[in-house]
Amino acid sequence: MKSKLFLVLLLTVGLVFSLVSAASAENILVFGSSGDASRLDPGDVTDGESIQRMDNIFEGLVEYEAGSVLIKPCLATSWEASADGTEIVFNLRKGVKFHDGTDFNADAVVFSFARQYDSNHPYNQYGEWAYWGYMFGDVDKMEKIDDYTVKLVLKRPNASIMTSLAMFTVNIVSPTNAEKYKEDAFKHPCGTGPFKFVEWVKDDHITLEANENYWRERAKLDKLIFKVIPDPSARLMALEVGEVQGIEYPNPADFERIKANKDLVLMSQPGMNIGYMAMNTGYGYIDENKNGVRDLDSEPLVKTPGYFEPLTKKKVRQAINMAIDKQSIVDNIYMGTAIKAKNGMPPFMLGYNDEIEDYPYDPAKAKQLLTEAGYPDGFEVTLYVMPVSRPYMFDPPKIGEAIQSYLAAVGITVKFYQVDWGTYLQETEAGNHQMCLLGWTGDNGDPDNFMNVLYGANACSIGAAGNYAFYTNNTVQELLSAALATYDEEKRATYYKKAQEMIHEDAGWVYLAHSTQNIVFRTNVKGYVLNPTSRKFFYPVWIE
Amino acid sequence: MERTRETKSQELIRRLKYNKSAVFGLAIVVILILCAIFANFIAPNSPTPSPPELFKALKPGFWSEDGIEEMPLGADGLGRCVLSRILYGARVSLTAGFVAVGIAMILGITFGTIAGYYGGWVDAVVMRIVDIMFAFPALLLAIVIVTVLGQGLDKAMIAIGIVYTPQMARIIRSSVLYIKEMEYIEVQKAIGSSDARIIFRHVLPNSIAPVIVYGTLMLATAILDCAALGFLGLGAQPPIPEWGAMLSKSYSYIVSGAWWAATFPGIAILLSVIGLNLLGDGLRDILDPRLKT
Repeated sequence: MKSKLFLVLLLTVGLVFSLVSAASAENILVFGSSGDASRLDPGDVTDGESIQRMDNIFEGLVEYEAGSVLIKPCLATSWEASADGTEIVFNLRKGVKFHDGTDFNADAVVFSFARQYDSNHPYNQYGEWAYWGYMFGDVDKMEKIDDYTVKLVLKRPNASIMTSLAMFTVNIVSPTNAEKYKEDAFKHPCGTGPFKFVEWVKDDHITLEANENYWRERAKLDKLIFKVIPDPSARLMALEVGEVQGIEYPNPADFERIKANKDLVLMSQPGMNIGYMAMNTGYGYIDENKNGVRDLDSEPLVKTPGYFEPLTKKKVRQAINMAIDKQSIVDNIYMGTAIKAKNGMPPFMLGYNDEIEDYPYDPAKAKQLLTEAGYPDGFEVTLYVMPVSRPYMFDPPKIGEAIQSYLAAVGITVKFYQVDWGTYLQETEAGNHQMCLLGWTGDNGDPDNFMNVLYGANACSIGAAGNYAFYTNNTVQELLSAALATYDEEKRATYYKKAQEMIHEDAGWVYLAHSTQNIVFRTNVKGYVLNPTSRKFFYPVWIE
Repeated sequence: MERTRETKSQELIRRLKYNKSAVFGLAIVVILILCAIFANFIAPNSPTPSPPELFKALKPGFWSEDGIEEMPLGADGLGRCVLSRILYGARVSLTAGFVAVGIAMILGITFGTIAGYYGGWVDAVVMRIVDIMFAFPALLLAIVIVTVLGQGLDKAMIAIGIVYTPQMARIIRSSVLYIKEMEYIEVQKAIGSSDARIIFRHVLPNSIAPVIVYGTLMLATAILDCAALGFLGLGAQPPIPEWGAMLSKSYSYIVSGAWWAATFPGIAILLSVIGLNLLGDGLRDILDPRLKT
């Protein structure tokens, strides 16, 4: 009996080894991700983990040049815009097939767009389409002209529409696949991209394999596996022993150890992001007609659930800005993997206002401002602290604790509030918080993607807010809307600069840092290019 | 009467002296209590400096030349003195332990005595509830209670107190069941003493010995569970220096080489649990009449 058992064991071990050796002949990359994807439908995801999978399965009409946010043709070979910019005609690439064999054509493009904006579309019910609301509100419709020509019609001119079209949100999905799986289509992604979906084991891994019929040259990797390893130390150790070949979000404290290991390469680049603490200034609106815009006559301002008297006062918010030593936080908690922020968007973007002078770290002045505002003895306030590390904030609890001690020095007592990530987003979008830690990673390199989404009054809709300070300044919103409709870059920039001045003066946010994006590979992984949007494309990658 | 009680306690001390491990446990516990009481005199730094001194983050301690002199055990991720936080943490952990066990004792003794003394359906109902509570793993039940009550050290103490109540109730009930059959209780009943008088004057004083033993042992697990809740982020909220929370905030630095921020709080938890366990075992040896030689 015992010897039989031994035999079975031997056979199993043998089998495993033969599998491993067979596998090593193939070019396989296992990537250590910090979390699992939420859904696998490019139109219906907003988080970096899901996007990272989508970007290797799907493609859009246009795409970014590697390592930049410049647009180049992808599934569309060329395009032409009307004089006023409200109509764009796209010529589509011929001979492209989806992974399930369906032909790529105008019907697929119209399907991928219309299901998101048309509430009567039969497939509209299968998703929330959150990003459509953020970024594509100006789109009126997508029309088929002939099998390989489509026309995009806008409600009004939009200067950022072409860069937005390279976003995952408007990647093209196979209509036959959607028809086959209906509400489960998000578990069976099918696009035209360099990799095909193989399997998804929830909270463990997602496997992709090279698309043999790709319209460009076949991917150099045979297989691409996204393995979920939430703990940063565990991720690094898996990389060190070669269990994975690349990892995201390494712990800044481990950078020296990584640099000392000649088997590993650390790739870093200034990230297109902002990490901040938002202070709820008190009022939002209820978006009755769900148009993503505050209609001034019919949608009045109402108190948010997290309304808190002291934070409605500008002097208090400015005092909080002055009570926190941001430089020290950047140096010692971000450990040099970030630069101090003074505005709500990254410095290399169009319209960044470098003339704004940041609030200095001055606790004495802060105390004085608090006294002037009527709070000489301070007050007690609740801070929502994110439970997860994000590209713009590696260790939110630690930053929260640092802020807590800084504010204690000027008499403000900070209480923590921590919930799971999904609830956190829901509660902050509904304005339940008094103060919260959050941030944003840019999607398309356009300033509108920061300014309008994060700081406009339209983004103060209770329940779907992106403006977490609930800063409802109509003048700022007018500037941002004017900027979006302006094609002249210089003129556009002046609008954004003016808006930033007002945002700075009213101090709804404490802008903490713009983090660098960091990724670590084993040295034999070649061809990876960092993108300013932090998106991860594995098409050009191979293992030596 | 006075003399016999004195000789009894003298006898206790004599027996304790012969029990080496109990003396060792007692020494640790006494040191711990002294640390807790005098933390603000012994600690070299504030456990929660405000504003924070972030530039001292993860500086090593006395063993390294890069260390800061006034922080012998190094600094944590926010530049706070690990030693000072451990000393203040003793205050937090011991308070949490005592309060939790106190809650368990009050509730456990009340329900256990009622169940044991009155018997019948009262006993059946109380003990079945106790059985139900026993069916859940202690920490899991504590997590559920904290989730309902909300986060925080005070809530964690209440949760652990509630979780330990069934054990206490069972122990006291079995003593009461034994004692209420004694002749002197029957005498009291015969002379018409009230139930309250019998319970408070005769039953409880005679069944308290096991409660002390188990209370001490429970203190150790209560401190451990409190640290566990802190580790999970459900117990003490920042910036309170709590050992479990200190451990969970710092363990990721071990890989980066800054082992001290997590190791020393861990040692503190270990020592206090060992101390209380040794003392508890020693007390059982001494107080349990069945183990008397």
